[in-house]
Amino acid sequence: MTFVERRGTMAQDGPHSQTIAVIGGGIAGLTAALEAAETGYDVILIEKEPALGGRVTRLNRYFPKFCHPTCGLEINYQRLRKNPRVKVLTMHEVVAVDGEKGNYTITAKKLPRFVNEKCTACGECGKVCETEIDDPYNYGMSKVKAARLPHEHAWPMRYVIDPVVKGTDDQKRIEEACKYGAVDFSEEEEEVTINAGAIVWATGWRPYDARKLETYHYDSSPDIINNVEMERLANHDGPTGGKVVRPSNGEPAKKVALIQCAGSRDVNHLPYCSMICCLASLKHAAYVLEQYEDAEVHMYYIDIRAHDKMQTFYERLKVDPRLKFIKSKPAEIGLGEDGRPYVKGERTIDRELYCESYDLVVLATGMEPEAKGVDIKGDVVKDEDGFVLALEGEDGGQFSCGVAAGPFDVALSTMSGTAAALKAIQAVGAR
Amino acid sequence: MTAVPTPSRTYDLSFARWVRENVEGGDKLNMCMQCGMCSGSCPNGQEMDNGPRKLFMMVRAGLKDEVLSSSTLWECTSCYRCYVRCPRGIPVTTIVQHLAALAAKEGYAPKNKVENYFFSKAFWWSAESFGKTDERLVTMKYFFSFGFGEGIRKALDNLKIALGMIKAGRMHIGLPHTIKNKSQLKAMIAKAKELEQKG
Repeated sequence: MTFVERRGTMAQDGPHSQTIAVIGGGIAGLTAALEAAETGYDVILIEKEPALGGRVTRLNRYFPKFCHPTCGLEINYQRLRKNPRVKVLTMHEVVAVDGEKGNYTITAKKLPRFVNEKCTACGECGKVCETEIDDPYNYGMSKVKAARLPHEHAWPMRYVIDPVVKGTDDQKRIEEACKYGAVDFSEEEEEVTINAGAIVWATGWRPYDARKLETYHYDSSPDIINNVEMERLANHDGPTGGKVVRPSNGEPAKKVALIQCAGSRDVNHLPYCSMICCLASLKHAAYVLEQYEDAEVHMYYIDIRAHDKMQTFYERLKVDPRLKFIKSKPAEIGLGEDGRPYVKGERTIDRELYCESYDLVVLATGMEPEAKGVDIKGDVVKDEDGFVLALEGEDGGQFSCGVAAGPFDVALSTMSGTAAALKAIQAVGAR
Repeated sequence: MTAVPTPSRTYDLSFARWVRENVEGGDKLNMCMQCGMCSGSCPNGQEMDNGPRKLFMMVRAGLKDEVLSSSTLWECTSCYRCYVRCPRGIPVTTIVQHLAALAAKEGYAPKNKVENYFFSKAFWWSAESFGKTDERLVTMKYFFSFGFGEGIRKALDNLKIALGMIKAGRMHIGLPHTIKNKSQLKAMIAKAKELEQKG
């Protein structure tokens, strides 16, 4: 079969579509889409946010080598730019999937962006826009203009306008400011259907809602944050320009507590180990130690799970005397009378009860699969924790990769992305 | 080379199995991952010598005498915080309470040492006799559990509090509170005891 023949099947509604749909444009979905496209298959990459990159684009550094996630994403975006076989749909949220191998129908909700492909990212609309919203890129830790570039590394490099400005004076100002005719407020939310022969679920994860950890009083103080917020705090384009400070008053956060298993390994919350949190917290310790000479970081843990080669990373950080490891799952976290958060519990090595105050407390919340709530029919199942799994032994056309499939780090997510691409190719290619 | 050390404590390795088979909830004890959530959450934790987490580790280690004479068993107020918070779903309170009952039965609750044991006995005596707890009788029974002289001393020490409570209407004067149909309660308790005997 030639490439030309294969290309002919794109967007065809026939019973044997050879198009592969990848749901989710994070690092796993991007990898799966590109790997499949580079072997000559047509791919539709469906992303619900205005830009690709998912959780990874919001990270400051990777463990264990402390390189920038933007670097790996950049390489993937270059591959994407060179490859016409990948069709990217942003702001499309999948609501249902039906059908069988060779003929799936994906129903997606297309959210209005109010900006079309003529946008040059000149930024004039953002300048005139007065309405501000909680910045979703910074998990609401800062404000951003309602007409904005999702972030400086966005792909596609195109502005997005929040629906709150529709019908306000801001709408007029924005429309007048755009010199390229890129603003279109007539866009409405609509339902679209997409046909594909195989589907790769790469829907990823969200941090476990820290508010559900009742005894950790996440809402009692802005100085009690979760691990993804810590990544933003340390990032140069985050709410503080990369300074790890106390969100309550902007003072340096020198004494920091890192709380492991905040929601993970707990039958009342997420029963599984989220796998990345220990290493992410070690990375957070490094951020603080790097910024303050007189830093004091306490890591509260049940046991440190530095999987396979990551043990070296743990050993390397362990030698710093400013970083202390306290074997204990804290029983209570709250706001103390001195305005600083406290951590309370039992040190299990010597059975001493403690209550210690900190500048900043970081909850290492676990990973919860994002696929909850999507109606999936056919040859995949969601396990009791909400992870998407291909039915074993079934000759199906739906697969999963990245954290949609299980709690993985970035390296494992990309590997599973490649594996899922191969499975999808086998499903649509085997004739 | 120095000599192989002799353990300073006696370890009974069959004890953990005994707990598993005889203590209510004991079969879940092997789920414990020693995180410390229970002991850290305990509102009475400071009063305990070991706390539930360490107590469970001692069960595993086979420290039978230390476990059964631990003050942890008697300082538990059954608030159930440890039970609801346990990340492994272990019925911590149930295990501690049943261990206390078995410890008392085996004679591990020595006189003049375990005050809460006396209190538990006084409380149960009132509940069993009247179907209700009478605050005066429970207190008196508890005080005099320590011996006659000590009972008088404790009673005099608390006289002011008692008078204050009577004045505020928090303690009544007159006959003890009772329930109607005490015979039914007695029959229920007898049946429960019979079932317990059967195991």
